[in-house]
Amino acid sequence: MAFNHFPIRWQALSVGTDVECMQRRRRSIMLLLALPLLMGIVAQDIHAAEPIKIGLVSEITGANAEAGSYTINGTKLAIDMINKNGGVLGRPLELVIEDNQSTNPGTVLAFSKLGGDKNIVAMIGPIRSTQVQAASPAIAKAAIPVMIGGTDPSLTKVNNPWLFRCRPNDSFSSRVVADFGVNTLKLKKWAIVHSTDTFGSGGKKALEDELKALGVTPVLVQGYTNNSQDFTPVVLAIKKSGAEVIGSYMTNSTDLGILAKQLRQLGVSATWIGSATITTDTAIKLAGDALHGTYGIADFSADANDAAKAFAAAYRARYKLEPDVYSGWAYDATHVIAQAIAASKSTRPEDIRKGILGLKDFKGVEGNFNFDESGDGLSGYNVLRNDKGKLVFMKHVEFKR
Amino acid sequence: MDLTNNLQVLFQGLALGSIYALVALGFVLIIRAANVVNFAQGDFAMVGAYLMVATLGAMMPYWLAFIIAILAMGAFGWLFNVAVYYPLRHRSFLPVLISTLGASIFLQNLVQAIAGAQPRPLPKLLDFDGFLVAGVFLDSQYLAILGCTAICVLFQYFLFEHTLLGKQLQATSQDKDMARLLGIPVALLIALTFIYSAALGGLAGILVAPILFVSIGMGSIIALKAFAATIVGGFGDVKGAIVGGLLIGIVESFAAFHISVPYKDAYAFLMLFFILIFRPQGLFGEKISEKA
Repeated sequence: MAFNHFPIRWQALSVGTDVECMQRRRRSIMLLLALPLLMGIVAQDIHAAEPIKIGLVSEITGANAEAGSYTINGTKLAIDMINKNGGVLGRPLELVIEDNQSTNPGTVLAFSKLGGDKNIVAMIGPIRSTQVQAASPAIAKAAIPVMIGGTDPSLTKVNNPWLFRCRPNDSFSSRVVADFGVNTLKLKKWAIVHSTDTFGSGGKKALEDELKALGVTPVLVQGYTNNSQDFTPVVLAIKKSGAEVIGSYMTNSTDLGILAKQLRQLGVSATWIGSATITTDTAIKLAGDALHGTYGIADFSADANDAAKAFAAAYRARYKLEPDVYSGWAYDATHVIAQAIAASKSTRPEDIRKGILGLKDFKGVEGNFNFDESGDGLSGYNVLRNDKGKLVFMKHVEFKR
Repeated sequence: MDLTNNLQVLFQGLALGSIYALVALGFVLIIRAANVVNFAQGDFAMVGAYLMVATLGAMMPYWLAFIIAILAMGAFGWLFNVAVYYPLRHRSFLPVLISTLGASIFLQNLVQAIAGAQPRPLPKLLDFDGFLVAGVFLDSQYLAILGCTAICVLFQYFLFEHTLLGKQLQATSQDKDMARLLGIPVALLIALTFIYSAALGGLAGILVAPILFVSIGMGSIIALKAFAATIVGGFGDVKGAIVGGLLIGIVESFAAFHISVPYKDAYAFLMLFFILIFRPQGLFGEKISEKA
């Protein structure tokens, strides 16, 4: 995606002496002249079929750029795979990426911009619930199917027919967290740690409800704002509460890494069952041994099923990185769009929507997709354990909807 | 239990406050020398931390990597002076301010383009995790932060109060035209200030990175609090920057522990709010009317 780097190159151009600038300008003019030539070559390569445009709104810059880069990796892998196998309806897929700067206003802006391009037939949206919530009206206005990764249960209950969640929502994850902690590990004194954003608050509420159903009232419910630099007050509150298990809904991997280290330093040895963030590649790398022995409830596991295993192998080979939920869900979302277009034999948004709703047991890396009327595609979670830095797949829990 | 908890909170607050103080010192020095708020001061911390990642990545021993990173930050400060401040030195406050703001955005994107968006861990300065003293865990990195801040403050005091260079720097900040008439090389001294501020910012970044990790946004979070610290302490006052930084660190830690964690960031700004109402010149600041 050469155009991603363009703004930065242009900025770099403005620095330097006049002579250098002129040399560079000459070089860039030559590049510009060569561009039509290059495009001609590319066009020949894909048999002159007009591409089907898919939009991607993700975090290229800003606080969550790290997660965004994984999402782009996963999407590109899927697109290249589909195009290699002949594309969809005999046409190649073309990805149009728009940065949301990791912010809500940026997300709304990005959707408005992509929504203005009438050739984009479907989009992949953010993984952050708060961003999805902010952009929901803009998505309704654009009136094309948007795959989302935000897991706050309420997102798909706002009468927006264009939102399709390609991850299981947190009413399921909280059920697994509660069931695994209370029934499998037999732990009854709970502390809930959650971010105060849309995702964290939604997860907290869902987990409280599920624990209540099992007859457990948490001894501590502790919120924090994203990008807190110090978790000492949180850790001390956990210590004071005497909790034997921590259930967490944390948004950022860096926050999770800081909390993990401080928990250990201040001598808290409670069992930790975290939402998907605890299983991300970044969190595992940052926190190191501070996360050993913790459990994660994640929709993505590299060993959960055959599709996941194949994806993980391809991802590792191409990027030399561990695949995680950020890349896995986007990979699935791309395939869901492609499948829906192929099934409905049309690129009209309304037809694609019907195609998505009509998918039956589509086998993705995160599980089997069956979309209900509200737009939720998955209803299962994996339980993983961090065994000395390696994620070990324990079980997959599938719920009836 | 409660006393140890409070001591623990005090310790963390002091250490984070020291980081705010280090970044605030950089703010203040540039305000004094060049009469401008450098909005890229937080990014100096970020660049410093990434330089440390790079020098460590080159298989150097920690101390050598540390020294080279700090020296490189000094060179970076000079470059910053030449590219961002110097061309606009005869313009008013605002163009320079916008220029530093632009530099901040540029630096974040540049570093992301070079190093990628993944946050990275950085090993601690000292080779052990910390001590447990009477139930209070003293993280070795926090101790290093406190130590380094104390050394920097002492060094700066000595420099400004007891050397000719320091006196010249003070003269420059008070009245550039007068200083120039007296034969003080003003442009050179301002360049020196940028070099020193960048090294200071880089040091803050390297010190805090083992705790907050190295990430593109790490500087912005710290800079906002540090800027509040410079206003609380007195705009452009060295002593004020240190006291303001420590105060904000301690107040937000205690308020988070005793009142509410989610509102942690609010306390620093609440404090700023009250200072601006009741003592607008800051704790150590002079009234503007006196300066004029």
